Amino acid sequence: MPDIEFFNITKKFGELTANDDISFKILSDTVHCIVGENGAGKSTLMKILFGVYHPDKGYFCIGNDKKVFSSTYDAISNGIGMLFQHYMLIDDFTVLENVILGREPEKKFSLDYRKSENILRELIDKYNLNLSLDKKISDLSISEQQKVEILKILYRNSDIIIFDEPTAVLSPLEVREFFNIVLKFKEDNKTIILITHKLNEVKEIADRVSVLRRGKLVYECTKEELDIEKLSINIIGEIGEKDIVTRKEDVSEKKTLINFKNVGYISGNRKILDNLNLELKTYEIFGICGVEGNGQSEIVRLMMGMIKPSEGNMYKIIGEISLVPDDRIKKGMIENFNIGENILLKSPLHYISKKNIRNISKNIISKYDVRVPDFNVPMSALSGGNQQKVIVAREIELDNKAIIFYHPTRGVDIKATGFINSKIIEMRNSGRAILLISSDIDELLGLSDRLAVLYRGTVSKVFEKNEIDFKDDISRNVLLEKLGKLMIGINQE
Amino acid sequence: MYNSIFAGFVAAVFINLLLSILFSVFTVKLKINQIVTGVGFNLLIAGLAKFLLILIFHSSSNTPRFENFPSFPLFKNIPGVGELLSDYIILFSFALVFLSQYVLFRTTFGLRLRSAGENPEAAESLGVKVRNYKFYGVLISGFLTSLAGIWLASNQNGFSDGMVAGRGYIALAAMIIGKWKPYNIFFACLMFAFFEAFEITIQISGFGIPSQLIQMLPYLITILVLVGFIGKTKPPASDGIPY
Repeated sequence: MPDIEFFNITKKFGELTANDDISFKILSDTVHCIVGENGAGKSTLMKILFGVYHPDKGYFCIGNDKKVFSSTYDAISNGIGMLFQHYMLIDDFTVLENVILGREPEKKFSLDYRKSENILRELIDKYNLNLSLDKKISDLSISEQQKVEILKILYRNSDIIIFDEPTAVLSPLEVREFFNIVLKFKEDNKTIILITHKLNEVKEIADRVSVLRRGKLVYECTKEELDIEKLSINIIGEIGEKDIVTRKEDVSEKKTLINFKNVGYISGNRKILDNLNLELKTYEIFGICGVEGNGQSEIVRLMMGMIKPSEGNMYKIIGEISLVPDDRIKKGMIENFNIGENILLKSPLHYISKKNIRNISKNIISKYDVRVPDFNVPMSALSGGNQQKVIVAREIELDNKAIIFYHPTRGVDIKATGFINSKIIEMRNSGRAILLISSDIDELLGLSDRLAVLYRGTVSKVFEKNEIDFKDDISRNVLLEKLGKLMIGINQE
Repeated sequence: MYNSIFAGFVAAVFINLLLSILFSVFTVKLKINQIVTGVGFNLLIAGLAKFLLILIFHSSSNTPRFENFPSFPLFKNIPGVGELLSDYIILFSFALVFLSQYVLFRTTFGLRLRSAGENPEAAESLGVKVRNYKFYGVLISGFLTSLAGIWLASNQNGFSDGMVAGRGYIALAAMIIGKWKPYNIFFACLMFAFFEAFEITIQISGFGIPSQLIQMLPYLITILVLVGFIGKTKPPASDGIPY
């Protein structure tokens, strides 16, 4: 496969320069990571390569051929595939129908389903995708849906595959599986471009790394030169801006606000929670790690009073609980409302003037460092990180005694992650009881006062603070391995 | 000169295709809300039909009587259903059940047509020309509704104002109850037809039940069937959303 080389790519959206004179090379048959914060211009650059956008200036070459694609279809025909963050799948179609759409094998008067099936089976086996072709998309998990998207790309014979933050929605085990697929691609001489902001993943899989910041290419290195510290400095820019709030001393008089005693929850005939015990206390961040679907969302729904336990008891001595939900777009906000309106969604009913809303927006924007082009724009105009800041702001401002953070930094850039993490600690220091559910192990280890492993609806182990402190990479890895095993149900004690 | 059923057939199909093109210009090209456009067309055409009736035939209620199509001879002597099966349009409508099932679920055209209704962005990203398929869809439905109109008028040997009597809406209800699947829709249509025939029979026999009550039956059944028997019906995800 030929190399890809960018020459002076510049792309402007109105006043904003998304890509500013970017030139670099992506070597063939490698895994090339492109890292940077949200809004750094990574996706824009890749969408130029994929024919979604046209550069205002500059061009790129694949091998020795100068290319500009007029559409994504054009890019696909030239052997490029891209996996977007938002999947383009048809819920009511089967896996097979989704994959072959637009390029269907045909018999004389009809679609050749058998031939399609054979072609796809072969690809599935070759790359261990583990998918069944006649299932509907609406019955698949997120990671399976991702595999369907990958299969779509493979079916179109792409040799250059762009992944836009593919692991943001995956659990640790699924990430492992995904990386194995990527490595297999590399073996097959495909070129993989990976957009991400998880640095430990870069360390694990990248052959080369390019860092973008505010539309510019600021740093490049190879696998051998890779240094996480240096990389993160280049991503964020100014070092002083990390603003991590240090944790205060432990307080002795913690108060239990929510107490689960042998709680079970049955849905249909499936036991989702089983003999679950946990306590949420003031001045404490209680972390939960586990593979998605082991009862996390049921714990949240029980605490929020949306469902009742089928067995056992849940004692709750507070009324309202704040919740930062796992899916900010579907559960956390109304996209067409502006910031102030979204903040007011949870306030008691009263007359609201336009001025009132404006003031609330302005207040939140300055207090929580939300970056907006204009305070009156709808939420949909904000980047993911800024949307999340608004939701976190709303839940904190409610001033409740307990706050649930459910995947608080999923798909959020490093800077906003740092900000949200420091807010979580700030809330803990002010005496709130905090439940933190996350798939980001580093986040859990860094923030939790106690960390529980959830497996098949029950807490299989609780780590105290001193058990999850680690001094160096070696003890971190030991800890990670232990957690990883517990998460898939291997308990060595 | 007015009395050629074949000229009528050609004119009806032609005008319906013309209206379909106009409808797709509004909804597919100009992206105007489909329901608003549909209601507009509905009112316009009901009025236009009456207007033309007065203008051409000098009657505000009906056209002069005309002859029906010649009948299809092959099944004529089968007892019971012979009359039904000697009608070309009815025969075609039976074939249509299988034809549409085949086209929708076995051909590339059908897959792409459905994808345009489910998730046009996804379809377009794979090179499916969504607007073209939407246009084909409107054109096909225009052609089929023209057949329905032709059948109604030819069967009554004349057009009279208001003779459609809301059957287009019943067709929509049949589509919903049939969950957008041809075989199911066929049975939903049979059910509605049964209750309509039932209504007429009861009225003729003069049982003393108020006719308004009986006329409610098909609608009542629709509601009952929707809430009670068939569970959730899910329209195509992008049904009615301009793209």
